[in-house]
Amino acid sequence: MSRRTMMKTVGLGTAGLAVPGLVAGCSSGGGGRTSIVLEETKPEVIPYFNNLVAKFNASQKSVSVTHDSSSSLIAAFVRGNPPDIDCDNYNLTTSIFVARGVLADLASLPQAQTIEPNIQALVTQYASYKGETSVLPYSVAAEGVIYNVDLFDKVGVSAVPTTLTEFLAVCEKFKSAGITPVYQTYGDTWTTQQGLFDYTVGGMIDVAGFYKQLGAAGTNLGPNSSVSFEKDFTEPCKKMLSLAPYFNDNAISKHYADGNTAFAAGQAGMYMQGPWAVGQVLAINPKVKMGTFPLPATDDASQTKCRANLDLAIWLPRSQGSAQRAAAIEFLGYLMQPSVVNAYNQANLAFSPLKGAPPQTSPLVSGLQKYVSSGAFYQGAGTYVPLTIPVGNFIQEMMLTGNVSGFTSSMDGAFKRLAIRTSA
Amino acid sequence: MTATSAPAGRNPLRMLKNLFFPVAPAYLLMIIPAIVLFTFFIIYPTIQGMFYSFTNFVGYGTFHSIGFANYKAAFSDPTIRDSYGFTLLFAVVACIFTNVVALAIAIALNAKIKWRSGLRTIFFMPMVLSGLIVSYIFTFIISTSVPIISAAIHFAPLESNILANQHLAWLGVVFVASWVAIPGAIIIFLAGLTGISTEVYEAVSIDGANVWTTFRRITFPLLFSFLVINTILTFKNFLNVYDVVVGLTGGGPGTATTSVAQTIFSGFFNGDYAYQMANAVIFFLITLFFAVFQLSVIRRRGGGL
Repeated sequence: MSRRTMMKTVGLGTAGLAVPGLVAGCSSGGGGRTSIVLEETKPEVIPYFNNLVAKFNASQKSVSVTHDSSSSLIAAFVRGNPPDIDCDNYNLTTSIFVARGVLADLASLPQAQTIEPNIQALVTQYASYKGETSVLPYSVAAEGVIYNVDLFDKVGVSAVPTTLTEFLAVCEKFKSAGITPVYQTYGDTWTTQQGLFDYTVGGMIDVAGFYKQLGAAGTNLGPNSSVSFEKDFTEPCKKMLSLAPYFNDNAISKHYADGNTAFAAGQAGMYMQGPWAVGQVLAINPKVKMGTFPLPATDDASQTKCRANLDLAIWLPRSQGSAQRAAAIEFLGYLMQPSVVNAYNQANLAFSPLKGAPPQTSPLVSGLQKYVSSGAFYQGAGTYVPLTIPVGNFIQEMMLTGNVSGFTSSMDGAFKRLAIRTSA
Repeated sequence: MTATSAPAGRNPLRMLKNLFFPVAPAYLLMIIPAIVLFTFFIIYPTIQGMFYSFTNFVGYGTFHSIGFANYKAAFSDPTIRDSYGFTLLFAVVACIFTNVVALAIAIALNAKIKWRSGLRTIFFMPMVLSGLIVSYIFTFIISTSVPIISAAIHFAPLESNILANQHLAWLGVVFVASWVAIPGAIIIFLAGLTGISTEVYEAVSIDGANVWTTFRRITFPLLFSFLVINTILTFKNFLNVYDVVVGLTGGGPGTATTSVAQTIFSGFFNGDYAYQMANAVIFFLITLFFAVFQLSVIRRRGGGL
């Protein structure tokens, strides 16, 4: 039976993984130093953190940090052997650690006071545990519409659009110049979800408030509840579909890599992707000049917000030896120094979560700075959906068929079923 | 009978030994490690999983009992329902395809032909390759080479990548999974064919039977018990399909080729451990039903197994 063999495999695999874990966890470094493990798995910045760890270790007599960049966190918690300190992407899946109370309360640390409250709030929008501060934001990534500066000049657009009307006018200019206004890649489900879908919904409704009320509605979700996908998402979804004439043909057969290649080659004026795509585009064509602006989804410029997510956030496990806890807090203090946090974010096209942090100066993403500074951001509507619900596939289907009510009823049905089993 | 009531003249020590070791210690030495391993790695986790299916456990941290809520939700979950639909359809079609092709190849390989052992080796080769590797190679062939060749010979149905087609992707999975499974089935059929006495073939050839009659009246009936065992083995393996799907389509396009095993495994990383354990228990009961059904068929047939 697959389940049996699978359990067997998982069991054996766990036993195999536990051995190096235990060795790393139990041994003390040479000269009486406490050894701790930092887990950090964001591939692009592993060398950056290797460097930080080396600098810290060189400055230390009592603590020695090892950088683990590959272990599975869920398996580590199942074994009861989590890393001593973790600095990774914070999303709905990792928020389960918060919800289940396996992370330490960091509220009493002085570093917890240095973080901008509206950025700290991003943590609790997904989950919280008894009002504790389980996670400290380290790096905020902000996303919007990436545009080709030279093509904007070419079609005669001098300033980025701040209202929907202005945005549509820019699209028309591109269209009459024979250039694809916006490049879309429906072939991958995540690209449409994080770009077009999250930007349109986030620009039109209060996403965090919607999901909070959705959670409160629970099993009563339906025509009579205060919120539902049918009530709140129908307008944004129709708006998404209304933009389709400005997209490239055959978007269903285009994938993320195709989008990067096409945008790097100047085949489209705009591209709904995050800063990660900026690096990819520059790798293909280092000469392309880019900027970013948040998608204006309404004609009220003061409503315009950008999408944000906690690209990196720090936490400590709740169950931890006292020596390890002290060492982890020492290392946390090093990582959370304003000079270290701000330098990291400046170098990685991200935004610092600290109060009074200097602005991001890279022109690639600096167009989003004022929105981040003023708290005009939201976590994407798709990011609140558990992986059990294939929202990306639902969106893909809606983009192909134009069936908005099919999408909203699928989402309402899936969330209601989820509520039935999670409320029991 | 106990040692104390033993009549005089019999060795009480031996009686004591027989009481505690009804089987010779050598047998116990062989059986006990197997029982311990089986219990620890299979029975214990199975019971543990069944227990957690009645909770909201995610694998770590706090949890509480939620009764049958996971089961109720699983029955109304379209993702789970569709994965059963795909898996059953796939298992039935792949099982028939594998056995028909394997039987044909086995009979061909059993004939008096040149290079027989060399050809047998070639046909067994897929067996040593891992399903995952085979499916990665076939992903490339089906999505790149096949469309180019089809376009060159103007064979429209395969000119586009069938793995990207919501309605046809499952056929690609059937083909590759069968390709992996056929060698194993051939070996069993060949073993059966070797067991058929040459005398019966001589007898029918004297009676003037043609090739088709020989197959229908002699080979097939004498090979039937091997067909039954092959059907059971391949069907059971196909119900558990995982690696080939992961390598070929990842369960897509959309969720068109997501297998039950994949759905269950996804729970571990989605924070749905307990929910998918409930799904696993349902799947266990379904496979149990098939196993009992197949066993009863064999018994009725008296298939000599």
